[in-house]
Amino acid sequence: MPTDKTTLSLSQKARDIRIQTLQMITRAGKGHIGGDFSCTDILVALYYGGVLKVDPARPDWPARDRFILSKGHACEALYCILADQGFFPETELTRYQQPGCILGGHPDRSIPGIEADTGSLGHGLGVGCGLALGARLDGKDYLTFVLLGDGECCEGAVWESAMFAARHKLGNLIAVIDNNGMCVTDRLEDCTALEPLAEKWRAFGWDVQEVDGHDFNSLLSALSGVRDRVSSTPLMVVARTVKGKGVPFMEGRLEWHHGVPKGEKAAQALRALKEMEC
Amino acid sequence: MLTNGLEKRTLSDVDVRDAFFDELYRLAVEDRNVIFMTADMGAFSLERFKRDFPKQYFNVGVAEQNMVSVAAGLALAGKKVFIYSIVPFVTLRCLEQIKIDLCGMNLPVTVVGIGAGVMYGGDGPTHHALHDIAVMRALPGMTIYNPSDALLTQASVRLAYEQAGPVYIRLEKGCLPVLYEDAGGGFQQGFTQLRAGKDISIMATGLMVHHAVTAKDILSRVGLSVGIFDIYRLKPLNEQALLEVMIHSPRVVSLEENSRIGGLGTALSELCADAGCRVPLMRMAWPDGHCREACGREEIHRHYRMDARSVAERILDWVRNT
Repeated sequence: MPTDKTTLSLSQKARDIRIQTLQMITRAGKGHIGGDFSCTDILVALYYGGVLKVDPARPDWPARDRFILSKGHACEALYCILADQGFFPETELTRYQQPGCILGGHPDRSIPGIEADTGSLGHGLGVGCGLALGARLDGKDYLTFVLLGDGECCEGAVWESAMFAARHKLGNLIAVIDNNGMCVTDRLEDCTALEPLAEKWRAFGWDVQEVDGHDFNSLLSALSGVRDRVSSTPLMVVARTVKGKGVPFMEGRLEWHHGVPKGEKAAQALRALKEMEC
Repeated sequence: MLTNGLEKRTLSDVDVRDAFFDELYRLAVEDRNVIFMTADMGAFSLERFKRDFPKQYFNVGVAEQNMVSVAAGLALAGKKVFIYSIVPFVTLRCLEQIKIDLCGMNLPVTVVGIGAGVMYGGDGPTHHALHDIAVMRALPGMTIYNPSDALLTQASVRLAYEQAGPVYIRLEKGCLPVLYEDAGGGFQQGFTQLRAGKDISIMATGLMVHHAVTAKDILSRVGLSVGIFDIYRLKPLNEQALLEVMIHSPRVVSLEENSRIGGLGTALSELCADAGCRVPLMRMAWPDGHCREACGREEIHRHYRMDARSVAERILDWVRNT
């Protein structure tokens, strides 16, 4: 289990990433703050919590773990993390979505640290299945991680992949769902019967852990031990989250899916993040 | 005598689909990174592949979208993947996965579609492949083969295997007359002039190449000299060489088992338009619509006047009336 000191530093890191994400998006005038902030803590747990085995100096290191951001619209938070880790210069963040910048509004494989092109939902888990299967066929011990959105789980292809992973006993595949309960224009419960989400994944043959996606103790209780996990069952971590987490006036509000604060609103959001309790 | 594993004297007895899978089998022996995935579509000649290479053969069930994404992941892990189903299911059903996961990342995955054109006849429009060329041709980085006989089909497996990016192969089945006795230049040119002729150049693809051969015989009896070109690689077209042929042809006919929207005829029209080539071009293809004739492939061809005799008659009408 992580120490209090570890979780404090992770909380501080998550706050910094949120601040950087907000600044990047307000500067560009576009982005997906709501979904960035709901999964920031998950990403920080993966990259800073000792879970993912990656080397920023060698983005193509063959033994690295593979991480796929299947909810590609949350790329701003991931870009901030990759820059902070040294995959590419932080100056790129200031040019986000500008001509000549390597960082587009959805991630692609030309960006150091990005494993797969995503942005259209429902692709990442299948690609992750292929990577995990490839590792097993070749006797390689890297792990494949996929972060999905819960709105993404409306895509039928996700469930095709879920069945495939279970059938092929891809115990080296770990998925996390950013379960913020919202899609773009509505609450998920108003669109489709996604819940009970965890039960569905269990029924599809996965090990499932339900965690608080904004509590590092809870996140790491599910993610820390994955490398030592001896199982032929893929693991799904359902992380209960809040869209827009960290900025009270954004939390749980649909308009901040791709809304961008301006002027005083932007300043207010920044103040809220700086005052965020760690 | 062996020609790439097929006995020359028996080429006409080889089912083109078997030619494909037998070559894939040989490839799988040579390279354990060759992976075959099917969305629950079989073939007799696949049985030994399945039996002998259990770690290289995966039936993913009727889940084409996932099949493409998994293939992409396997390719990212260093595999050379062939995915297989009936044309519309392995192209249109999972089109976006092909666009993003395969073309977007330029991965070496070969999409193999069985049932070119109206091969599935009475099974109806759900199973027909009349729009796949148009759609797949629009995808960046996609290479498309539409082989017309056993040897060419066999060669397409190697060509696809050697390709660094995505490939689509539009596959026939059954025994087709032999067009190629040997692999000659390795089918690198993208098309072959099968017959010489000075009045009309027929540019055909897939099964329609055989109709062109028969139509040539019919037209020669009324004094028309017809050249035949097998356009076995639909993308990228060998643009310069084809343009040369068209510029020096009095008339050109495109002949394909595909909708007239977006296929070979469209591609040749684009080529002419871009180059300012004003050769008279008649596009022979299927009309825009669903083909609901509940009958076999040959009857459907006759119904749409796309059988060899009708093709000859339509060309003759065109020559006499324009």
